[in-house]
Amino acid sequence: MSDEPPAVRLEGITKTFGDVVANEDVDFTLERGEVHALLGENGSGKTTLMSVLYGLYDQDEGTIYVDGEPRSFDSPQDAMGAGIGMIHQHFQLVPPMTVLQNVVLGNEPTRNGLIDEGAARERIEGICSRYGFDVDRHLDTPIEELDLGTRQRVEIVKTLYRGAEVLVFDEPTAVLTPQEVDGLMGLLEDLRDAGRSIVFISHKLDEVLAAADRITVLRDGRAIGTVNAAETAEGELARMMIGRDVLFERLSRETTPGEPVLEVEELRVDGDRGLERVTDVSFTVREREILGIAGVQGNGQTELAEALTGLRPVESGTIRFQGTEITDTGRRQRIEEGIAYVPEDRQTEGLVQRYDLVRNALLGNQTVAPYSMDGWLNWPRVSEHAETIVREFDVQTSGMGADATSLSGGNQQKFIVGREIGHDPELLIASHPTRGVDIGSIEFIHNRLLELRDEGLGIVVVSSKLDEVQKLSDRIAVMYDGEFIDTVDPDVVTEEELGLLMAGHGPEDDPTGNDPDTEAKL
Amino acid sequence: MSDGASDPGRVRTALDRAADRILDASVYERVGIAVGSTGLALLIGLVIVALAGYDPLRFATQLVVGSFGSERAFARTLQFTTLFILAGVAVAIAFRAGVFNIGVQGQLIVGGIACVLAIVWLAPYVPDGRIGGTGLVAVGLFASVVAGGLYAALPGALKAYYGANEIITTIMLNFVAIGVVGWAVDGPLRPDDARSVRTEYLPDNVGFPQLLFEYPSFSLVGLGLALVVVVAISVVATRTSFGYDMMTSGYQLRAATYSGVDARRMIVQTMTLSGMVAGLVGAVFAIMVQGYFIDPSGLGTYGFDAIAVSLLAANNPIGVVPAALLFGALDSASSHVQIHSEVPVQLIDGIVGLVVLFVAAPELFRMIAERTGLGGDRR
Repeated sequence: MSDEPPAVRLEGITKTFGDVVANEDVDFTLERGEVHALLGENGSGKTTLMSVLYGLYDQDEGTIYVDGEPRSFDSPQDAMGAGIGMIHQHFQLVPPMTVLQNVVLGNEPTRNGLIDEGAARERIEGICSRYGFDVDRHLDTPIEELDLGTRQRVEIVKTLYRGAEVLVFDEPTAVLTPQEVDGLMGLLEDLRDAGRSIVFISHKLDEVLAAADRITVLRDGRAIGTVNAAETAEGELARMMIGRDVLFERLSRETTPGEPVLEVEELRVDGDRGLERVTDVSFTVREREILGIAGVQGNGQTELAEALTGLRPVESGTIRFQGTEITDTGRRQRIEEGIAYVPEDRQTEGLVQRYDLVRNALLGNQTVAPYSMDGWLNWPRVSEHAETIVREFDVQTSGMGADATSLSGGNQQKFIVGREIGHDPELLIASHPTRGVDIGSIEFIHNRLLELRDEGLGIVVVSSKLDEVQKLSDRIAVMYDGEFIDTVDPDVVTEEELGLLMAGHGPEDDPTGNDPDTEAKL
Repeated sequence: MSDGASDPGRVRTALDRAADRILDASVYERVGIAVGSTGLALLIGLVIVALAGYDPLRFATQLVVGSFGSERAFARTLQFTTLFILAGVAVAIAFRAGVFNIGVQGQLIVGGIACVLAIVWLAPYVPDGRIGGTGLVAVGLFASVVAGGLYAALPGALKAYYGANEIITTIMLNFVAIGVVGWAVDGPLRPDDARSVRTEYLPDNVGFPQLLFEYPSFSLVGLGLALVVVVAISVVATRTSFGYDMMTSGYQLRAATYSGVDARRMIVQTMTLSGMVAGLVGAVFAIMVQGYFIDPSGLGTYGFDAIAVSLLAANNPIGVVPAALLFGALDSASSHVQIHSEVPVQLIDGIVGLVVLFVAAPELFRMIAERTGLGGDRR
C-alpha cells in the first residue's frame, strides 16, 4: 500500500496458560489509519492477543513490531509509551472523581509541584475539539453521574491524552445501548480519519461489518484469515468463526429415540437486564437422542439452558420432564429428579476453585443419596465417587487432595462431565462441553456423550462449534436472536446452510449473502 | 470492581503478588502468621510502654500475672474467653458463608434480655431448687437463641429480598438494640427498689454450678457450653448438606447456585444461625456473669471484638477457641493492670488494638483479596 511500515505487526505470537494454548502462531497486521476488527468466539484468544500487545502478558514466542521496530513491553506503561492504548470492557475510571481528574490521573501536568488544572483543561479541550468529542462539557462532573456511553468516551479521551496512536477497543459495545453503539461507530470513523489506527475486538458479526475496514478472525487461538469488510458477508464470517475443520468423523448411527424426556412449549425467558432473550421456543428431546442447539454465542442459548436447569425463571411457556410439568420447580429439585447440567462456565459455576476434588465431586450432589442421607454427608462415598470420576474420565491430577485450580481446562471439564453423569441422570444439558478443551479431551467427552445417548439418556448439547453439533446431534436446532430459526437433520444439512442459519438467514431467505469464491482466500 | 482503580500497573502487580501469596498460605503458615504477629504486636507494645516512661518488664509481668497468675485471674480470663468463643463463632459462621454479620453485639443484647425476661416471668410457676433452676436456665438459653436468631434473620431477609447491605443494617440494628433495651431496663423493666439501671435479679436457683473455680462470674459449665457450640457448628459445617451449601456459598456463590442452593434463602438461614449463637452470648452473660441484665451500653463490646477474634481464627470455628483465649487473656490482664500498675489504661487498650491490627489485618486482607479478585488471573 505505502512504504510506511504498518502501525503494529505481530508475528508468530504464541501464548499458553498451563497446557491451554490461548494463541498459537498468530500473525496480525494493523495498518496506519484503519479500523481492524478482531473477530472470534469467547475464548478464541482475541483479548489474550491484544493483552500481549498491551504489555499485560509476555508472549511465549513471536515478535511485536511497532512502526517497523521490534519492541517488547513489560507493562501497559511501556506500551502506552510506544503509543498503544487499550480501552477495556470494564472502564478503568474512578467513579467519585471528576472527568478531568480521571483523564489526567497518572499524567498530571504540574506547576511548582501542584496540578496545573488550567493546562489540563486546555489540553483536554484541544483533544475534544479535534476529534469532535462532547466530553469537555462534563469536565467537572463525577464519573458516577455519567451514563456508560459517556464514560466510554472519557476513557477514549484519557487514552488519547496519553498520546495513543493505536487504540485497542476490547468488546466496546458490550455495555452500550443501540443508540450509544451508533455513536461509537461514528467516533471510530472520526478517529481513523484523524490518522489513528484502531483494533476493534468483538464477537458480533453485524458490528464488525459496520465498523471495520478489515477483519481478522480468530478461532481456538489461531488466526483463521483476514478479509476486507467490503468483500465479505455475515455467512462467511460465521463459518470462519465457528469452524469447518473436519476433525471428527461423523459416526453412522441408527437412531431409535424413545419416550419424550423433555418437552418445552412456547418458552419465553428474560436475560439479566430484563430483555427477552428466549422467544417462543418449543421442542422435545427423547430418550436415546441428542438435540444440538447451534448458534453464534449470545443468541439466547445461555438463558435457555439456565431456564431448563432451573437456574433462571421462565416468563411464560411450559417445561415438562418425563411428562410432569417442572416449569416452576427450583434447581435442587430438578437435580434430584435427574436433570444433570454441564455449565457453560466451568471456572465460576462448574467447580469451586479452592475445593479439592473430593469436595468438588459433591457439588450438586449434596442432597442426593448415597452421598447424603437425611442431611448428613457420607464423605467416604463422596471420596469413592471422586476416585471413580478421575479413573473413568482419565482426569490428570496429582491426587484427590488437589484443588480444582490445579487442573487444566480439559481435565476440569472431564471431571465435571464425569460428575454430572455419575448419578445416573435422565436428561443431560451440556453447554459448550468442549470449549477451551484440548483435542484429546474433546474426543473423549464426545465419545462418552454418544455412549450415554446409546444407553438411553436424553441429551441437549449447546455449542457454537459447527463440527461438534454435526458430529453429536441427531437433530440440530439453530438459535438466532432468541428463536429457533430452523431445525435441521445433521446428515443432510451443509456447513454452508448452517453458517447462513447462524447468521440469521432463515430457510425462507434467499442465501445470496454468501459468495463461494471467498473460500479460496481462507 | 468494574470502575476500579486506575491503570493496571505496577502497584496492581505488586498487590496481586502479595495477595496471591496470602491466598495460597497453608493452614500452618497461617497459624504461624497469627502467632508471629501476636508476638510482634506485644513486642511493639512493650517498646511503646518503655518510650512512655514505664518499666516494660514490670508491665509484661503484670500482663501474665493479670491473666494467668492467680486462680482469680485465670477464672476471669476464662470468663472472657467463654464469651469471646461464642461471639467469635457467631461471626465466623456468617463470614465463612460470605455474609458480613456486624450485628453480633445487637443480637447478643436482644438474646440476653430475652433470656432474663423469660426466666423472670416463668420463675413464679416453677418449683424452687435445683430442678426448677436447671429448667429455667434451659428456658433462658432457648429464649436467647430464638430472639438472637430472629433479630439476625431480619437484616438477612432485608439483604436477600430487598438488597439492603447487611453491614449497614446490622450496625444500625446494634444501635436499635442498645437504645430500646437501654430504655426498657431504665423504665418498664427496672424494679422500684433498684438503685442502678438494671432488670430484676435472676432467682437464686438460676445459674451454672461452680466447678473447681470459686470465682462468681465464671463457671466451667459456661465454658463447656461454648465448646459444645464450637463442636456442633464444626460438625454442621463439615458433615451436613446444609453446611456444605453454606460453605460453598461463601467460597463461590455462583457455584453454590449451580449446585442447587437458593442463594436468598441461604443468606437468611446463615444470618439466623449466626444470630442464634450470638443470642447465646447474651444468655451466658446474664446467667453466668451478671445475674441480671444491665444497660447494654455498659455491657462490653464482645460483639465487635468477636470480629477480630474470628478473623484471627481465619473464620474457623475451632480456631476461634485459641483466638478467644488470647483476647480473653488480654482483657483479663487489662482489668488487672488498671488496678495494679501505674501504666494508664488507654495504653493497654492501645496495645490490644495493636494486637488486633497485626493479627487481623492479614486475614482481612485475605478476604478482601478473595472478594475483589486480586491475586492474579486464576484461569
